[in-house]
Amino acid sequence: MSTVAAPPRPGTESDGDARHRLGEAVRRVPAAAWPLVVFAVLFLIGGIVRPNLLTLEALWSTAAFAMIVAIASSGQTLAVIQGGIDLSVPNTITLSALTFLSAVDSLGAFGAFVAAIAAGAVVGLVNGTIIAKLSLSPIVTTIAMNGFLFGVVLLTFDFSQLTDIPKFASDITSAKIGFLGTEVAAVVPVGLALLLALQALLSWTGWGRALFLVGAAPDVARLAGQPVDRIRITAYMLSGALAAFAGIVIVGFYAQTSTGMGAPYLLGSVAAVVVGGASIFGGRGSMIGTLGGALVLGQVATLVAVANLGVNIQQLIYGVIILFVVALYGRRAAA
Amino acid sequence: MSAPAIPLGARFRRSPGLVGLKREGAIAPVLAFVLFFVIYVAINPELLTRFQLQTAANLVAPLALVALAQLLIVLVGGIDISVAAVMSLTNVVFATQLESASPVVAGVLAVAVGMGCGLFNGLLSAYGRLPVIAVTLASSFIFGALATEVLDRPGGAVSEGVTLATSGELAPYVPVALVWVLVAAALLWLLLQKTSLGRHIYGAGSNAEGMRAAGLNARAAQLTAFVLAGGLVALGAILLAGSTATGDPKSGDPYLLNAIAAVALAGASFTGGKGSVVGTICAAAILGLVGNVLFFAGVDSYWQYVVGSVIIVAVVGIPVIVRRLGVRLKGASA
Repeated sequence: MSTVAAPPRPGTESDGDARHRLGEAVRRVPAAAWPLVVFAVLFLIGGIVRPNLLTLEALWSTAAFAMIVAIASSGQTLAVIQGGIDLSVPNTITLSALTFLSAVDSLGAFGAFVAAIAAGAVVGLVNGTIIAKLSLSPIVTTIAMNGFLFGVVLLTFDFSQLTDIPKFASDITSAKIGFLGTEVAAVVPVGLALLLALQALLSWTGWGRALFLVGAAPDVARLAGQPVDRIRITAYMLSGALAAFAGIVIVGFYAQTSTGMGAPYLLGSVAAVVVGGASIFGGRGSMIGTLGGALVLGQVATLVAVANLGVNIQQLIYGVIILFVVALYGRRAAA
Repeated sequence: MSAPAIPLGARFRRSPGLVGLKREGAIAPVLAFVLFFVIYVAINPELLTRFQLQTAANLVAPLALVALAQLLIVLVGGIDISVAAVMSLTNVVFATQLESASPVVAGVLAVAVGMGCGLFNGLLSAYGRLPVIAVTLASSFIFGALATEVLDRPGGAVSEGVTLATSGELAPYVPVALVWVLVAAALLWLLLQKTSLGRHIYGAGSNAEGMRAAGLNARAAQLTAFVLAGGLVALGAILLAGSTATGDPKSGDPYLLNAIAAVALAGASFTGGKGSVVGTICAAAILGLVGNVLFFAGVDSYWQYVVGSVIIVAVVGIPVIVRRLGVRLKGASA
């Protein structure tokens, strides 16, 4: 159940048949790359069916939607890697989007941005503290938090007043940027930079490596002297802050608010993380994988829309893909 | 009389019912429910009128049944994300079948579809060895799509007779919905406490390895729990269709997080093997009626979400804090 590639076997030339070597080569592909490979295949299939889907424009339009899902799932990825789950993502998104919009007049765009992210981090801090210090189940804690935030959102904000989307929010999301003679929504490079930075944090910092250990074997992490509680709490804080960032991105891109604006990301974020190859039990996952998962789901949506099959078929295919991915990596050891 | 003189208090404390509740973590939710009920009646004595009892029962009944279904899955050590989708699907199956079939046939069909969904989840989880949460995440997309396929907007043909049979009154002061819930809960309690299958369901969640070592079939118990849970969700969906007089492909959505919250509030352990039917009913009643109490107390009903969450964290968290403090005090005095 580990992402670490198996050490190469000292195969002799006589029994080193091509099939064996191919198997080795396949095994050496990092797990995070598989969703990207699947996306590439789906993208090519789209091109065979409809040649105009094999263009940079088509890629950018799928990528923009997928990137929003990936950003909304980035915090979820951290929560899942450390052995939990964050079901308060939907209403953290709503809270942040509305905090941002209502604070713009008094604090300016950047001040409101910081306030919204801080609100998300506080949500995560409370989640993490209850989970780590009181040992309440992450599912229960974050469901309660999601309900709490729903009440806070309904009691605090006046939706009819919050209709102006500041330029700052659309600048980082829906604004078009020229690239190789095509136009790409700003959210694609912004999201890519964010996800790569988070991947670097996971891969190359002590905190990131410790996060995987905490998720895979918390007792071992504790014996190894890792501050397990502090790592958990910071992971939930970062998850909250990233959901808050997603809230600003969503409100900037779609330019509308509602009490239910975060709802699609409850199961959507977990789906992207699972399709991205993370273990739902913790200890395995990556930002690149989650991006790949979001791209696969986004490309399926594009193909279903082009084939005029309707949202139902899209949801059905999502379900089948999740089952397929889980069957590939998620089997428990035979007992 | 030669029976040893046990003080009444001690006898009460040792009574099997109370010991059972304690073992299953249900003391806190039962006490919370009693307190909640007293507050409710103090704020609004009108609850005990026929109309309000009936409304309250209709509000709580679907949540209670879905929470019992979730409890079964939690008992075998999983968590079911697909209850909302199964509820939507069985709700629209029931409402659309009423267009042509008799209510009994439609009801049986809906329950059969619910059990079929449970069978799907159960086979993949118990025999396919896939994680329950991931299987039910996937199946919630699939069942949700099927629900919208059956009926893409609120509709169906729920007749007045069906509404009366699911959410009317059986006798004065006896709401039908409450009877349905109590019958289902009583049967489930008997099954879990008095049959070997029930003990196997607890065993599959607390120590599946041990069961296998003892030659018992943990997987079959797990699968049965899933099928029963599907049936319970369908029953909740039927009651909801009756009380709202309509079928709605999104009707299950609010029940996903609420049912998990109710099971948590009931003191069940999400690692499996611990949870109580009585506690779950009490928890569902609290969560279902928080909004009503606030309404009658003249508080903005949006506060129900805040208050509900605080109740969950308090009822689940306070026992933990008390236990920790107790350990610390004992440690200090030793």
